[in-house]
Amino acid sequence: MSFKIKAEKRDVFGKNVSRRLRREGMIPAILYGGDASNVPLTLRKEEVFMILKSDTGENTVFQVSFDSEIRDVMIKELQKDPVTDEILHADFVHIAMDKVIRVSVPVMIVGEAVGVKAEGGFVDFITREIEVECLPKDIPEHIEIDISDLHLRQSLKAEDIALPEGVKLITSSDTILVMIEVPVKEEEIEVEEEEEVIGEEEEPEVLGKEKLEKEKEGEGAEEEKKGKGATEEKRGKDEKKAKERE
Amino acid sequence: MLMPKKVKYRKHHRGRMKGKASRGANLSFGEFGLQALEPCWLTARQLEAGRIAIARYVKRKGKLWIRAFPWKPVTKKPTEVRMGKGKGDPEFWVDVIKPGKIIYELEGVAESAAREAMRLAAHKLPIRTRFISREGRELR
Repeated sequence: MSFKIKAEKRDVFGKNVSRRLRREGMIPAILYGGDASNVPLTLRKEEVFMILKSDTGENTVFQVSFDSEIRDVMIKELQKDPVTDEILHADFVHIAMDKVIRVSVPVMIVGEAVGVKAEGGFVDFITREIEVECLPKDIPEHIEIDISDLHLRQSLKAEDIALPEGVKLITSSDTILVMIEVPVKEEEIEVEEEEEVIGEEEEPEVLGKEKLEKEKEGEGAEEEKKGKGATEEKRGKDEKKAKERE
Repeated sequence: MLMPKKVKYRKHHRGRMKGKASRGANLSFGEFGLQALEPCWLTARQLEAGRIAIARYVKRKGKLWIRAFPWKPVTKKPTEVRMGKGKGDPEFWVDVIKPGKIIYELEGVAESAAREAMRLAAHKLPIRTRFISREGRELR
């Protein structure tokens, strides 16, 4: 399903204008990529939600229309408020439909591992997204991995994934995606706690402290030498003067 | 107790806690997290108390990440000492927490267990926090 978004060209910039826009339910955005120059835009927030809630999520290729132009784009980045989770700004990147692009695709776990069901382990989902290269029309919604055969301490690597045709893996093939971990023994937890209580009240090492001390010592010694030299010279001069007077 | 192994300077300025967290505000490792909603100086003791509360509740299962680290030394003058004569000695270590920062992340346990573990940990912290999960986080 292809989405179309209506946007307007934006000719006002800065935080005050952007805040006013957000109050009205709009968000500032920017479109870049391709041969054309960057285009600042404004669009309704709901339109971005519509794309994010689609099956392909952030990897959706959609069309943006502004003035009399229509362009194929993708979401490159979304800025959001960490506390309120509001979208603050969107970056769109122009996509050429006949050129391969690199995208991050979410990994989905399927099945329950033997290591969890029968052996008491737990699933450690280490890599949740993998990078792939493909044509925009071939971007997979997600990549499924079946973990039902995994025992304790066994893992699935990126090389074990069966990718659809036309999709090339970019993430390093030995990247671990999922591992069935062994739970920590209770005794180990207790020992850890005790150790930490014992290891209190030590001050950390100050970097460059020794160097500073050495420099200070060096300076002190030089000054002393200078001091000695100067007094000797002075003494010599005084003696000469005394002789001349005589 | 958490503290740095090496430091460049023994004593820091106090600084200010303006704005919201720009780093460490997303779930990076686990499925569930505890997010700060207020700014504070989180001491190593508070962080450790929270960690112990989570570890005791989830017992042997699950994997815990502590996303905050007390980098900042706080100095204090001894009691009954007159003012002046320089800054006091480092007394304890804190991390400057800003709203949005994720303090703990948890993986490998059910949501109900994670929620309860985080609730117990939140009681050890001096600020308001909220429980977040990857699935439950929707943009507005």
